[in-house]
Amino acid sequence: MKLRRSMLFVPGANTAMVCNAYVYKPDTVMFDLEDSVALSEKDSARLMVYHALKHFAYQDIETAVRVNSLDSPYGLLDLEAVVRAGTDIVRLPKTDTIDDVLDMQNAIEKIEKKIGRTKKTKLLAAIESAQGVVNAVDIARCSTRLMGIALGAEDYVRDLRTQRTKEGNELTAARAQILLAARAAKIQAFDSVFSDVRDKDGFIAEVKKIKNLGFDGKSLVNPNQIYTLHDIYAPTKEEIEWAFEVIEAADHAKKNGLGVVSIDGRMVDAPIIARAEYTIDLARTSGLIGEEDE
Amino acid sequence: MIINKFSFYKRFNCYNSRKYRSYIIESTIKFSQFESTNVRRVKRVKEFLDENQLDLSSDIELFVVAMEENKMIACGGLSGKVLKCIAVADERRGEGIILKVMTQLLNAAYNRNQQELFLFSTPKNIKFFKDCGFKLIEECDGEVILMENSKNIENYQKELTKLKKNGDVIGTIVMNANPFTLGHLYLVEEASKRSDWLHLFVVREDASAFKFADRIKLIRQGTAHIKNITIHEGSDYIISKATFPTYFIKDKGMVDELHAKLDLNVFRNQLAPYLGITHRFVGTEPYCKVTNNYNKNMKKILEDKNGKSEPIEVVEIERIEFNEQAISASRVRKLLKEKSYEELRSIVPPSTYEFLMDNTRNDDDSYK
Amino acid sequence: MTVINSAHAGTLESSDVYIQINPIDEDMVEIELESSVEELYGEMIEELIRDTLKNMKVSYVNVKVQDKGAMDLVIKARLQSAILRACQMSRNPDWSVL
Repeated sequence: MKLRRSMLFVPGANTAMVCNAYVYKPDTVMFDLEDSVALSEKDSARLMVYHALKHFAYQDIETAVRVNSLDSPYGLLDLEAVVRAGTDIVRLPKTDTIDDVLDMQNAIEKIEKKIGRTKKTKLLAAIESAQGVVNAVDIARCSTRLMGIALGAEDYVRDLRTQRTKEGNELTAARAQILLAARAAKIQAFDSVFSDVRDKDGFIAEVKKIKNLGFDGKSLVNPNQIYTLHDIYAPTKEEIEWAFEVIEAADHAKKNGLGVVSIDGRMVDAPIIARAEYTIDLARTSGLIGEEDE
Repeated sequence: MIINKFSFYKRFNCYNSRKYRSYIIESTIKFSQFESTNVRRVKRVKEFLDENQLDLSSDIELFVVAMEENKMIACGGLSGKVLKCIAVADERRGEGIILKVMTQLLNAAYNRNQQELFLFSTPKNIKFFKDCGFKLIEECDGEVILMENSKNIENYQKELTKLKKNGDVIGTIVMNANPFTLGHLYLVEEASKRSDWLHLFVVREDASAFKFADRIKLIRQGTAHIKNITIHEGSDYIISKATFPTYFIKDKGMVDELHAKLDLNVFRNQLAPYLGITHRFVGTEPYCKVTNNYNKNMKKILEDKNGKSEPIEVVEIERIEFNEQAISASRVRKLLKEKSYEELRSIVPPSTYEFLMDNTRNDDDSYK
Repeated sequence: MTVINSAHAGTLESSDVYIQINPIDEDMVEIELESSVEELYGEMIEELIRDTLKNMKVSYVNVKVQDKGAMDLVIKARLQSAILRACQMSRNPDWSVL
C-alpha cells in the first residue's frame, strides 16, 4: 500500500506554495480549493491547481485536491478541472453520508467518461461532523474508489459544540471510530491538521499519539512538519530487523514449497508478512536502509 | 527531461525561508476591508498611523487592514483614484504583508472602475511601489512622493508639446472660475496683453458649486475676443483630487502645505517645460485661505533658481474692485443666493450673467 | 472568445503576477509587461502570453502584467483566469483551450 504519512495542505490561491510544495517531498500534496480560498478567488485558484497538476514537477509525486462540496456553485467546476488535469485523489469535504461519496463518484465517472480517461481517480472522504463519524463504517465501505477516510477536526469539534484542547480528548471518539471503520474496510485512516506551527513539542506529542493509535498519516500545514512526522513514523531498528526476519522466512518457505511460514516455531501469517513489507518500505523511504541491505 | 527555464530559475528560490513564513501568514494574519463610515475601525487606523508618524487623510473611502491577534500591523486607503496612508509596522517589514494590502487596494479600485491610479507615500518606498507597477512623477522636500501606475503623464506631456507656441513670454493661468467673473476676465486680459501666448488651464474636478462643463463654457464665452490664448481642460496633474486633495476637502481651514508644494513641483517640472512656460499669472487672493497659501508657495517654488527645470516668474495682478470690494467668485455666489441680481450683473460678463439667470429661473436652489 | 469587460487576476505577492485585461478596438493583442526579471525572461513571458491568448482565440485586448517572478504555470493560470472573467465565462470554460 502506498505510503501516505504526510499530506501537505497547499492553499490553491497561494502561488508561492503551489509552485514549491513538491520540493518538500511530502508523500502526498493536497491542493485546497475549499476553505482556504476566498470566494472571489475560487475560479483563479482552480486554474492554478489545474495547471500545477499538469506541470511536470507534479508528475512524480502523488497529488490530491480538496474540492468544494457538490452543493456549492464551485464543486462541479472543480471536478471538471482536476479530473481533467489528472489528480490522483479527490478529497471530499464534509462527508456525512454514503450519498455524499456516491454523488461525488458519479460526478467523477461522468467526467472520466467524457474525456476518455481510463485511470480511475481515487476518493478520500473527510469526516467533519458527528453524523459523519457515526456513519464512518458505512462510508468506508461504500465505494471501491475510496482509498481512505480522514478526520477534519475543526468542523467536527464545532459540530460537537465544544473547543479544541491541547490534550485532544474531544477527538477521542472520532479518532477511534474513523480508525476502526478504515481498518474494517481495509482502507487508510488520516488524522487532522495540527495548526499551531510554532508549537513543535505539541505537534510531536500529537503525531506520536496518532501513530500509536494506528493512523496511516496526517494532514500538515507546514513543510517543517513533514520532516518531524517522517522521523516519528520511521521504524525502529528492532522493527526493521524483525521485518527482515519475517521476509526471509517467507522467502524461505516459498523456495522450499512449505505451506506455512514460521519463525522460531511460531506461525507467521499473511497480515504479519504484509506488515513486514510495509515496514521495509517505510525504512527504505526514510533512508534507514539502502539497496545493499536487502 | 527538459527543464523549463522558469522552473529551473525558481528552484534556487524555493529553499528561501520566506516560503516557510508564507505558511504562517496564511494562518495568523487576517486581512479585512471596510468603508470610512465604520468610525470605530477608522479610529484604530488613525492610532496605527500616528504610531508610524503618518497622517490620516480624511477623504479616504475604503480601508484595507492587516490584523494579527487583534493588533493592527498594516493598513492602506483608497480615495477615488488615489492610494494613500499605506503603512506597515516596522518589525513586520519584508514579510510581504503590504503586497497583500496593495493587491486588495488595487482590486477594490478596479472593481470601482478606477484603473489609472495615483499613489502618495514617502521617498523610502519608491522602489517598493515601483515593483507594484507605479512610476514616480514627483518628489517633494524629501517627504512625499506622487506616483502613478499608467503612462498617462507621458501621454499628457506629448499632447502638451503639440500645443506649444513660440514666443519670449509664454504665460499661464490655472483657474477654477466658480463661476467666471469680471475679476477673472481682467486677470486673463492683463495676462494676455503681457504675453506672446497665454495657456489657461481650467481645474477639472467637479467639486465646486458650478460643474466643470459649465465653468469652462463660461470661460470660453467670456474670453472669445482674446486671440493669443489656448484654453486647456484641466487634468489629474493640475490641482486635482489626485495631486492636491486638501484643496477640495470641505474644511478649508486645513491647508496641507506639502501637497501644495507637490502640485507646484509637478507643474514646474512635469508640465510647464512642454509648453515652454515662462510666466504664471495669479490674482491677489484676499479671501480664500487655501488659495492664498498656495500662491505664497508658488513664488517660492516656481522662481527658485536651483530647481530641476527653468524657473517661472510669478506675476500677481491686483483684483479689480466693484464698490470697493474685490470681485470674486465667492462674492458672485453670495449675491446669487441673496438674489441681488443688479449688483451681480455689474461684476460678471454678460455671457455669465445670462447663464446664471437661465439656471436660476429653471432651478432656484441649485447654486446655493 | 470575446472580451466583454475589464477584469483582473492575481496578486502582487512574490512568485505571482498581477494581470489586468482591457478590451480595445483593434484586432490585436497589446502587452504591457513589467517584470523583476525582464531582461532575462521578458521575451519568453510575452511569447507565453501571446501563445496562451492564441489558443483561447482572444484578440482585441490590452494585457497589463506586473510580474513578481512567477513560474510559467502561474502566468498561464492567472492570464486565463483574467480572460475568462473578462469574457464572463468563468462558469463554463472550454477546457480544451486551457
